[in-house]
Amino acid sequence: MPNLKDLKNRINSVKSTQKITSAMKMVAAAKLRRAQEAAEAGRPYSNRMQDVISGLAAKADASSAPALLVGRAEIKTHLLVIMSADKGLCGGFNGSITREARELIAEKEAAGIAVQVYIVGRKSGDALRQEIEGKQFARVDNVQGSHVTFGDAAEIAAKILEGFEAETFDSVSMIYNRFVNAITQKVTHTSLIPADVQATEDADAGLSASYEYEPDEGELLGALLPRNISTQLFSALLESTAAELAARMTAMDNATRNAGDMIDRLTLVYNRTRQANITKELIEIISGAEAV
Amino acid sequence: MAETTQLELVTPARTMMSAEVEMVVIPGSEGLFGVLPRHSAMLANLQRGQLEIYEGGKVTSRFMIDGGVADVSGERVIVLAERAENLDKVSAEELDLRAADASEADKDFLMAVKAAI
Repeated sequence: MPNLKDLKNRINSVKSTQKITSAMKMVAAAKLRRAQEAAEAGRPYSNRMQDVISGLAAKADASSAPALLVGRAEIKTHLLVIMSADKGLCGGFNGSITREARELIAEKEAAGIAVQVYIVGRKSGDALRQEIEGKQFARVDNVQGSHVTFGDAAEIAAKILEGFEAETFDSVSMIYNRFVNAITQKVTHTSLIPADVQATEDADAGLSASYEYEPDEGELLGALLPRNISTQLFSALLESTAAELAARMTAMDNATRNAGDMIDRLTLVYNRTRQANITKELIEIISGAEAV
Repeated sequence: MAETTQLELVTPARTMMSAEVEMVVIPGSEGLFGVLPRHSAMLANLQRGQLEIYEGGKVTSRFMIDGGVADVSGERVIVLAERAENLDKVSAEELDLRAADASEADKDFLMAVKAAI
C-alpha cells in the first residue's frame, strides 16, 4: 500500500511542474505573437526581392550567368546550413530538424559529395555532434529569439560567400522549420547557391521587356544575389523563431494537460489509500473492543 | 491635386512607409535620380544615401538608406533597402544608444545617419 506522505509529496511535485509548464506556455504564446508579427512584417521584402531576382534571372543568359545563380559545374563539397533552436522543451522541433539533417548528410555522402555544415542554434549542433565531427564549417548560437536582426543574417551570409569564393564548397542549402500556423511547423529545405528562383504568387506580370537597368543586368544581378542570400537567411531566422515558439507553446500545453491528468490520478489513489487506512483502523478498534 | 506615385520603402524587418508622393529622389549607385509619376520602368541598384520625398516642390521627409534596389514602374516605386532610418524621427542620443550594441556594419550606418540629421 502506497504511503500517504509519499503520495502527498508526489502530488505536490507534479503540481509545481504543472505551474512551470503552464507559465512557459503563456510566455511562449505572448512571444509567439510578436515573432509572428515580425515574420509577417519581413515578408514583403523577401517576396519583392525574390520577384526582382527571378525577373532578372530569366533574362540572364546561361553562359555568362554568375555562379551564385547557376551553381558550379562540378559539385565536390556541399554546405548545409542547419537552423535549430537554442533551447529545448519545444516538442519535436529540434528533433525533426536533426533527423532531416542526418538524412540529407547521408544522402549527399552516398552520392559522393563531401558535406560541411553551418550550425545555427545550439540544439542541432549538440545532437549531431558525432555526425558532424570534422565537417563543421562554422557555428553560431543565440541569433534567434526576440532579437533577430538583419545584421546577424548578413554576417552568416558573408561567411558563406567567403567560403564559396574560396571554393571550400560548391553549393549551399539550408534546412529550417517554417512556421505554417500555431500548431504546424514544416521542415523546409531550400537551396541558397545556386539560387532558388521562383516568383511569388503576387509577382506582377514579371519584369516587362521595357525595363531599364542601372547598372546593366549582369552587374545588378551580381549585386543582388549576395543580398538575396542574407534576405533568405533572415526570413528563415524569423520563421524558425516563430515556429520554435509555436512548438514550445503546443508542447507546454500538452505537458500542462498531462500534469493535470496525473494529479487527478494521484489524488484518486491518495483518497482511496486514506479511506483504506481509516477502515483498517476502525476494524482494529472494533475487533479490539469485541475481544474485551 | 498634383499627380502622385505610390512609394513603398521596405526593409527586411518591415515596411517603413507606403504613401502617395509627388516626387522622390533616390540615391542610385550611378548617381541620384528623381522619380516622378509615369516614370519609365527601371530597376536600379542603390547605395548609401538620402532618399528625399518632395511635396509641392519642397522636401517633406528624408530617409537615410543603405544599399538595396529600387523597382520603378509607371505607377509605383518600390525601394528595397537593407537598412533605413527616418531622418525626421530619430535623435542623435537614440542612435548612440542603438549603436552601442550593434554590429560593426550597423554601427557604421547609424553613425552616417547621425551625421546626416
